[in-house]
Amino acid sequence: MNPHDIAPTLPAQFAALTPFTNWCLATETERNRKRNASAMLELQAFRDAILPQVDEVVRYLDGFSLDAMPKDALNLMHMLLSLAEIAPAVESYHQPGVIDGYDPARFVADEQFVMRPSV
Amino acid sequence: MDQKVINLKLHDRYPELGKGPVPVDPYISQDYYRREQGGIFRKTWLHVGRVEEIPSAGDYFVKDLASCDTSIIVVRNKKGEVRAMHNVCSHRMNQIVYEQRGHTRKFFCKFHGWAYDLDGNLTGVPDEECFFDLDRCEHGLSMVACDVWQGFIFVNMDPEPALSLADFMRPMFGGIEGFPFDKLTTGFGWSTVVNCNWKLALDAFQEAYHVAYVHGHSIADAIDTESGGSMPPLDALCGEYHRRLSIAGNPKSVYGNPNAVTAGGEAAKEALAVSGESKPIAAAALRAGMGSATHQFLKEDLPQGMNWTGHPNWLFDINVVFPDFYLSLRPNYCQAYNFRPIAHNKTLLEARVYYPEMKTAGGRFYLEYMKVTLRDVLLEDLSTLERTQAAVETGVKKNMVLQDYELLVRHSAHVVDRMVQQQAQQSTKKENA
Repeated sequence: MNPHDIAPTLPAQFAALTPFTNWCLATETERNRKRNASAMLELQAFRDAILPQVDEVVRYLDGFSLDAMPKDALNLMHMLLSLAEIAPAVESYHQPGVIDGYDPARFVADEQFVMRPSV
Repeated sequence: MDQKVINLKLHDRYPELGKGPVPVDPYISQDYYRREQGGIFRKTWLHVGRVEEIPSAGDYFVKDLASCDTSIIVVRNKKGEVRAMHNVCSHRMNQIVYEQRGHTRKFFCKFHGWAYDLDGNLTGVPDEECFFDLDRCEHGLSMVACDVWQGFIFVNMDPEPALSLADFMRPMFGGIEGFPFDKLTTGFGWSTVVNCNWKLALDAFQEAYHVAYVHGHSIADAIDTESGGSMPPLDALCGEYHRRLSIAGNPKSVYGNPNAVTAGGEAAKEALAVSGESKPIAAAALRAGMGSATHQFLKEDLPQGMNWTGHPNWLFDINVVFPDFYLSLRPNYCQAYNFRPIAHNKTLLEARVYYPEMKTAGGRFYLEYMKVTLRDVLLEDLSTLERTQAAVETGVKKNMVLQDYELLVRHSAHVVDRMVQQQAQQSTKKENA
């Protein structure tokens, strides 16, 4: 992220997650890159922070249309998608990357694909 | 679990395939690849995409087909039909379209401004009077045979295909027609160029023997396994060209019970009971996604060709459409992979997954969980390919040894070789004539 960008803000009731707003990333490519560049302890800290309130996060976000989320809700949505991104790391591999996996940087997500969802 | 079928003796049903070792030279031979190009890729229906990618007249995408040494424009015309044409101007051969996809009223060549309509007709030539008896009707774009099966667009470089697309597909896949593909309107895609032969790549996907090992860390728990981790398929089918394999899942996992998100109820309870403890993010994603899909996907509405053994724990059917299209059908989503050869030792893998549209943020979270899990499983599948190619290229081993549940690998090699030999015979006949 450009250091001149203002740090992403979250809806007030989820302010406790502010230390993890560097997970507010809009694309799979960015989320996967961050996962693979993180230490396992960082992934676990992020999971430990968001998982206990994940149902509340979902309930809050379900109140908005996916096509018209206010900016702070959209940031929270991107953080929630990051939780999905790290799920295999913390629940299956117990390391950031896929064990013995093909280089993820060579397996390029088509972020412009016409059938992708709006968020 | 006592309904599990073991000792299928699949090979006994297909004695023409034999049971012996299978040569690996076709994985590494440049000459064999050249013969595949002529004998297979230039005369077979090739899958290039979904109709939903080009919903409106003038929507188009370009597909580079290295195996046919060409680039194809696939476009929806004003009548709503899908047409395909070579991306080559009739004037001095420039590529007509530079972008990989877009929307246009007409195609204009950026070299000298020749214009073509959505059916490839030549409609405009700057300084036309300076040409010599130019007949526009003779200089349209070169059309490519194009047809649609269940929303999947296919092209065929043979201007007069030996079989219609319907006749090509129906003998093996008629029973899955009617699957609600049109309800799977959310798609994700990845691509990569893998340094291996296209058949070697495809073969890694047309058996489940590898699951306990390659996927031992990830989704092995989503698959219905015997004690000891082996994973017999429910059944397999081989036809003149195509092949199918049916696989059971473990309903006590989120990834192995995708039905839970659309069916809810007992299916969801079962998936959540165990995963809630061992995989809490997976469980949260499933809780979040339930009720979000725009379509219900009732198991009883699925066409009878899916889960053709009727197994209660059925998870998915692998459908391999000859030559290089892998279509995995689940109760409420599907995976579509193409293993497009670029050279004898280079393959473009284009992987797509299509899910039902999710109306809510929670549903979107669920899809992301399913997609990311799938992507990581693909990274596991891809991990062996370049290593295997390098190992084959050492020349140390001339054959591979296949077990009963690797029937599809054997069938694939058999059909490819039959087509290559047929082409050789036809060429010889032509030369003698």
